[in-house]
Amino acid sequence: MSALPGELRKLPAFVRRDFLVAWSYRLPFVTDWVGLAFQAFMFYFIGLMVDPGKLPTFGGEPTTYLAFVAVGIAIAAFMTLALGRVSAGIQQEQLAGTLESLLMTPTSPATIQLGTVVYDLIYVPLRTAVFLVVIAVAFGLDFYASGLLPALVVLLAFIPFVWGLGIASAGATLTFRRGSGAVGLGIGVLVLFSGAYYPLDLLPSWLASLAELNPITIAVDGMREPLLGGTGWEGVGKAVAVLVPLAVVSLTLGAVAFRSALRRERSRGTLGLY
Amino acid sequence: MALAGVSLRLDAGRIEALLGPNGAGKTTLVRVLTGLVRPDAGEARVLGVDTWECPRDLRARMGLVPSGDRSLYLRISGLENLLFFGRLHGMSKREATTRAFEVLELVDLTEAARLRTAFYSHGMQKRLSIARALLTAPSVLMIDEATHDLDPEAAARIRDLVRSLADEGAAVLWATQRIEEIRSFADGVTLLREGQAAFQGTVSQLIALAAPRRYVLRLRNGRAGAVELEPLLRAAVAASGTIAAADDGDPEDFLLHLAEGAVLGEVLASLTAGGVDVLGCREEVSEIENAYLNLAGRGE
Repeated sequence: MSALPGELRKLPAFVRRDFLVAWSYRLPFVTDWVGLAFQAFMFYFIGLMVDPGKLPTFGGEPTTYLAFVAVGIAIAAFMTLALGRVSAGIQQEQLAGTLESLLMTPTSPATIQLGTVVYDLIYVPLRTAVFLVVIAVAFGLDFYASGLLPALVVLLAFIPFVWGLGIASAGATLTFRRGSGAVGLGIGVLVLFSGAYYPLDLLPSWLASLAELNPITIAVDGMREPLLGGTGWEGVGKAVAVLVPLAVVSLTLGAVAFRSALRRERSRGTLGLY
Repeated sequence: MALAGVSLRLDAGRIEALLGPNGAGKTTLVRVLTGLVRPDAGEARVLGVDTWECPRDLRARMGLVPSGDRSLYLRISGLENLLFFGRLHGMSKREATTRAFEVLELVDLTEAARLRTAFYSHGMQKRLSIARALLTAPSVLMIDEATHDLDPEAAARIRDLVRSLADEGAAVLWATQRIEEIRSFADGVTLLREGQAAFQGTVSQLIALAAPRRYVLRLRNGRAGAVELEPLLRAAVAASGTIAAADDGDPEDFLLHLAEGAVLGEVLASLTAGGVDVLGCREEVSEIENAYLNLAGRGE
């Protein structure tokens, strides 16, 4: 038996553990969804004040502010939650004092890193999809059914990019212990200039041009076109073509940074310290 | 903590105590031996395998009970903790479940198997930690400060459990700073001092290093005050040592400093023969503690 299938068979154990831990905290579980619902209500009422003529069209189709922002909220929340949890996964093991116990098992560091986030990598996209469906049903939004699969493909191309950033951030947290503030700031800046909550046309042209290069912008637009404009697979290839190389770079840099940080901490004997 | 030239021999069926004060390097040594820390220089081998290279089969053959009680997932049950770590050791779900119940029974936690670990007492958490270390039936067990925050009954229970594991063939390294617990428990002792082995041998050999020996005697003049007590005592003790009033304020307490080669029983017999009533006798500091303090550089 090669090592890889054996390592992959360990991942369900991480999912089960993290589901049981998450389920033991029922209140945050519920408040997360309630908070998301409040956010949707808030943007619904803001949407009533927004002139749809100020919004961009997608596939030549006009849209409402709520439909526009719903995709933005979904992606921004996905980015914030996923990146935060990936970077915090190892930190939580350090804080809990369980990291060394994990390393005492014949499990590779890569599996441990993936294992600490695999539950979130399943839960967070699921949460994003459920949010979009619920908001569409509750507020009568017309998402194109034909756009669901292309949007999902864009999301799947976006996940490894976020994951790579998260691993790099986890490496920084291993080394510097207190990295969550910088991560939060980075996420905030990326989301702010992504067009998630407002059209980028409202920004000064130079800033709008820069924001067009933001991977979140590419993911948000890549999902809006098929969902709101019914453009199907048209344009998805372009978004994926940009996101995949970014994901490769992000994952590679993240893996190198994490392995270096882990090796350094083990050499120094400070892995269990926080 | 820097370690220098420490060499340990762990034999199957034996408990080697790793003794030393705080900061002596016990935990560092355990972490080096388990591959969690890379030695700056030199190498550490367990079962003939370089621990830093961490070949996976070594992980299955060596169990670690880390110090502290934060190495378990407190939000899930003891059984789920064991299932999780069992799966990480490559067991199937069925194998992990079977083995988890076996080791839970071994550490007497079957009834608490489905209880959230946060509700376990310190002693129960420590037993669960031992159960986790036993999942793969390892031939080497490294146990770091397993009893330092336990009450005497819980500590004794842990020691009994570890003794039985050694009796079944496990080689055990037992790191502790509780020197009294190694008497009649450990088969060998390595005493660390500033990262170096200050002593290696048996517990008896460690005790033999305890010199000088001091006893607090509770004495009364059996001659109804006809003779002064202190000259009587000095005469009775003679060349076997020195004796003087203890500084605890009690007029009946005396400190006997036994000379090398002198026998306590003979001194007590001599006192009785001289007309002194011996009401009590206890070690001022235990022999083992005495040896420990001398070797750890904290003796007089």
